[in-house]
Amino acid sequence: MNRSLVILIGALALGAAIFAGSFFCARHTTMSCCEQPADDLNWLRLEFHLSDADMARIRELHEGYLPKCAELCAKIAAAKRELETIVGTGTNLTAEAQAKLDEIAGLRAQCQAQMLEHFVAVSRAMPPEQGRRYLAEMKKLTLGEHEQMEHSMSGETGHEHQH
Amino acid sequence: MNSQDQQLQSLLRTARTAPVLPPRFQQDVWRRIEDAEASAKADSWLDALASLVLRPRFALAAAAVMFLTGVFTGTLEGRQLAQREAQMNYLAAVAPHAIR
Repeated sequence: MNRSLVILIGALALGAAIFAGSFFCARHTTMSCCEQPADDLNWLRLEFHLSDADMARIRELHEGYLPKCAELCAKIAAAKRELETIVGTGTNLTAEAQAKLDEIAGLRAQCQAQMLEHFVAVSRAMPPEQGRRYLAEMKKLTLGEHEQMEHSMSGETGHEHQH
Repeated sequence: MNSQDQQLQSLLRTARTAPVLPPRFQQDVWRRIEDAEASAKADSWLDALASLVLRPRFALAAAAVMFLTGVFTGTLEGRQLAQREAQMNYLAAVAPHAIR
């Protein structure tokens, strides 16, 4: 192979190695510097530039919300386990299984309503502009997944049914 | 030059056979010349670049640029990842996956 070509390929490889090494080191260092796993609310402070007073109000709301959320989640988990035992043995969807599904759906709806209420309360504890942004972001993150799934199932994402 | 020499020369001229050139001989010759020139140009371009790369000042500057670009993009990426992780932590606390 041509000597010049070998030199150029070697230089490119060395450059790529320097770039990759510095990239991964910097990424790792930044991630370990920025992460504070102990505090769930750290993201709010960083993303919405909240003051200590805002954070204190939000922390109070957050700590009040968590036990209620955990209680409903435990109920959902218990109902799901019961559903599994009901559905596990049979091959048909019995009335009992249907009732359990309705119960789970009701609990989920209750939990979602409580969650949205919490988001609204937190957004009110923030400065107005940040509160609006927070609420929009949380709706997108929590309700968006259902919307995406429903859109894809109903065929609204591009194709329409031929009648 | 005497008359015998002249006779000999004319005899030799008539005796010499003109070689039959292969078809498209001239075009092939020109093509070969062009190919040789093109190859020489490419080689010189690569050589120039290789000699530039081997210059210590250029090599050091290129390495510094690659290093700084890596640090800059890595820091940006790290910040974005850390922010995303913090967002996921918050989301996991307030909106468990079972209800999303």
